[in-house]
Amino acid sequence: MGEVKKIRTVCRSCHGGCGVIAHVKDGKVIKVEGDPESPISHGTMCSKGLAITQLAYHPDRVLYPMKKSDNGWERISWDEALDTLAEKFKQVTKENGAESIVVGQGTGRDYESHLYRFANLLGTPNVLTAGHMCYVSRVGATLITCGNLPVCDYEGEPKCIVMWACNPQWTNPDEYKGEGFWRAYIKGSKLIVIDPRKGFLAKKADLWLQLRPGTDAALAMGFFNVIVEEDLYDREFVDNYVNGWDAFVRRVREYPLEQVEEITWVKQDLIRKAARMYATTKPACINWGVPTEQTLNCTDCTRILTGLMAATGNLDAPGGNVFFVPPPTRTVSEFARHKDLPPEQRAKRLGGDQYKLASRVALITPKVAWDAILTGKPYPLKAGLLCGTNPVTTRANAKEAYDALKKLEFLAVIDFFLTPTAELADIFLPAGTWLEQNHVADNWKRHGYVLARQKAVEIGECWQDHKVFLELGKRMGQDWWDTVEDALDYILEPSGLTWEEFKGKGYLKGDQVYYKYREKGFSTPTGKVELHSTILEKWGYDPLPKYTEMPESPISRPDLLDRYPYILNAGLRTPTFFHSANRMIPWLREIRPDPIVEIHPETAKKHGIKEGQWVYIESPRGRVKQRAKLNDGIDPRVIVAEHGWWFPEIKDPGHGWDISNINILTDNSHESMDPVMGATNLRVLLCNILPCEDEQEGTRWERFL
Amino acid sequence: MGKVSLVFFKEDCIGCHACEVACKQEHELDVGPRFIKVLERAPLYIPIYCHHCAKPPCKDACPVEAISRNEQGIVLIDEDLCIGCKACAEACPFGAMQFDDDKEVAVKCDLCIERLKNNEQPACSKACPTRCIHWGDMKKISKEIEGSLLQG
Repeated sequence: MGEVKKIRTVCRSCHGGCGVIAHVKDGKVIKVEGDPESPISHGTMCSKGLAITQLAYHPDRVLYPMKKSDNGWERISWDEALDTLAEKFKQVTKENGAESIVVGQGTGRDYESHLYRFANLLGTPNVLTAGHMCYVSRVGATLITCGNLPVCDYEGEPKCIVMWACNPQWTNPDEYKGEGFWRAYIKGSKLIVIDPRKGFLAKKADLWLQLRPGTDAALAMGFFNVIVEEDLYDREFVDNYVNGWDAFVRRVREYPLEQVEEITWVKQDLIRKAARMYATTKPACINWGVPTEQTLNCTDCTRILTGLMAATGNLDAPGGNVFFVPPPTRTVSEFARHKDLPPEQRAKRLGGDQYKLASRVALITPKVAWDAILTGKPYPLKAGLLCGTNPVTTRANAKEAYDALKKLEFLAVIDFFLTPTAELADIFLPAGTWLEQNHVADNWKRHGYVLARQKAVEIGECWQDHKVFLELGKRMGQDWWDTVEDALDYILEPSGLTWEEFKGKGYLKGDQVYYKYREKGFSTPTGKVELHSTILEKWGYDPLPKYTEMPESPISRPDLLDRYPYILNAGLRTPTFFHSANRMIPWLREIRPDPIVEIHPETAKKHGIKEGQWVYIESPRGRVKQRAKLNDGIDPRVIVAEHGWWFPEIKDPGHGWDISNINILTDNSHESMDPVMGATNLRVLLCNILPCEDEQEGTRWERFL
Repeated sequence: MGKVSLVFFKEDCIGCHACEVACKQEHELDVGPRFIKVLERAPLYIPIYCHHCAKPPCKDACPVEAISRNEQGIVLIDEDLCIGCKACAEACPFGAMQFDDDKEVAVKCDLCIERLKNNEQPACSKACPTRCIHWGDMKKISKEIEGSLLQG
């Protein structure tokens, strides 16, 4: 029996960042613990990260490459797998053009630099990511508004925190973890929570605004109305650093509080109180979450919230929303060689003319990929490579996603398990978990840190994602390095450190400078915060932000209310799962064995639904089953359901992907998406619920134990 | 240090279950026994756990004296003596007593006795992102909770 070796590394069970000490004995990770030295998490960890050993050593995990044959999945060598891919991609490039290959990722957990480099050097402009409705949409909208993504400066001790549609203590808020927020909050900060559902933070909040799902942009306009009317803005900042203030104020006046109350269901007095609290408490920051992006108001809502940060003088101010200075490393953009995608290939980006902001941030909305596969228009997609993504459960209108991927001529998938998506592939490539990789972690984030994720073990023939792109890229004749670590040296070069030296350090932090605009202005065409966007104007969109009613809501479609009387808010987060991941992890599944839909007790009573009963949720697009949980902290007119559900314990290739998958119900029609970004609308649609007669009581999962 | 105990400051429990998984990992527990279990009643989260009572009802209920309270105040089960009658589980007012179906014995939180020996905090308390799990002697715990109350 060997000694226990402790490896300092960084979690990636969500977007990662939390410091971990991995205990390794006899070549196996026996335990993980939080790293007290971590500047991000200070020794704490979440259930997902703590359960990593159950994922890494899971009996169902696929540990070698496979191909699909007439007899099902068959083990092959890495050489055969990569040769098959390279040959196929070369053939498609020659016959149809590189744009006929779609490359995709899920939440892109720290490998998008490599995935994009592969795609750009291949010459395909068609990269599918979650970014159309999650985070990158925020990056894109802030890029054109104020030049960069403003992030909460929790270390700068905000005195007022606005938690706008976010639960960072349960889920992944990208830059900072809930830990940073909590440390700032318990120092005595005021808290405003904007959430349709009464969660932990709503309980703690000084003010809780329970809005109608999807109306965040209107509420933000209500905030602005108060701030303008009561002269609570930073006049000096507005005079010097805002483009289009007067025109924007005219737009704001179109949102009197009576009207905002009608749209959002939030009482005028409460909006007024919250706006005053945010505008007069200094410094104040807004921590935004994805529900602000997952509607057709995605870009406008982000732009209005950025406007609030700017107008109150909280932009790039200590304790406000700041532009963190990154440590000196090569950016993801440079590594990914975005500039080297030929202009004629960029011009072929699917949906590029329609969704110009998505094109600007180099991604496509899934709808245009499914259209291209299913209709052949504007040209057919012939082959795909998907990494760490399960679109048949996590993308809007799941049936269409499933049909499209099934129809795709050739598909390769990089993952840990045979997910419902992986089952549709021709080639499966086994990915390494975060315990099995060397990487400069968080290099894409905007929180001012990079962290050393160090390999603790190797398991089976699994490769870290980066190595897959590097080795495949080399087979395609692309410019890569000999090893993963050589590429890390290249990323770290500007810092003067090698990967080996960086490992010893654990992390680097950029030297933070505030109020950078006073010297340099903002990185926008006018050098100012563009509330009137010159870029959107040039592209032919409304240059000023506004609120647009969702196409399928009680207000837009009263004709549907007889059949579908409730608003479905899809995507209730869980602390144990990351989107569609972790359903096979015993420690996590035991905590949450079933998909949960929350229903107000009054609504449940109306339909004869009891706590714990299985119910059908129906929308104009289909029907799924989840288990009812009664919650009087939601509005009786709203139903809140979890997303990402499939059942690894069901062994047929579908793995029950359509039983409880809430995206069977969501819509991805062009009219339901954000017109600039192609963000899908996952938070507002109409639905009905009714008790399931054919489902026995008790959990599904226990029947498989 | 006086007698040690374990107290969750419920007011700050966010229902993230990190304590549960940290405990499972530390004690190498499979599906089944949960020495900590957090009930979700949003916005309230209710941790079910062993309080290491000064006068443990589980100890009183055990017909074979398999449950003892050591000099530190940690309530422990001797699995060799346990006959699996579940009288302790009936008696526990907190619902904290667990059962190992394979071994057919009662099992429970031991306050990470091995970690305490090495001056390490219990696994649950270490993972907790709001640091609402307090352990040690009651003086230390009271002081910490008073601090939390002042902050909240």
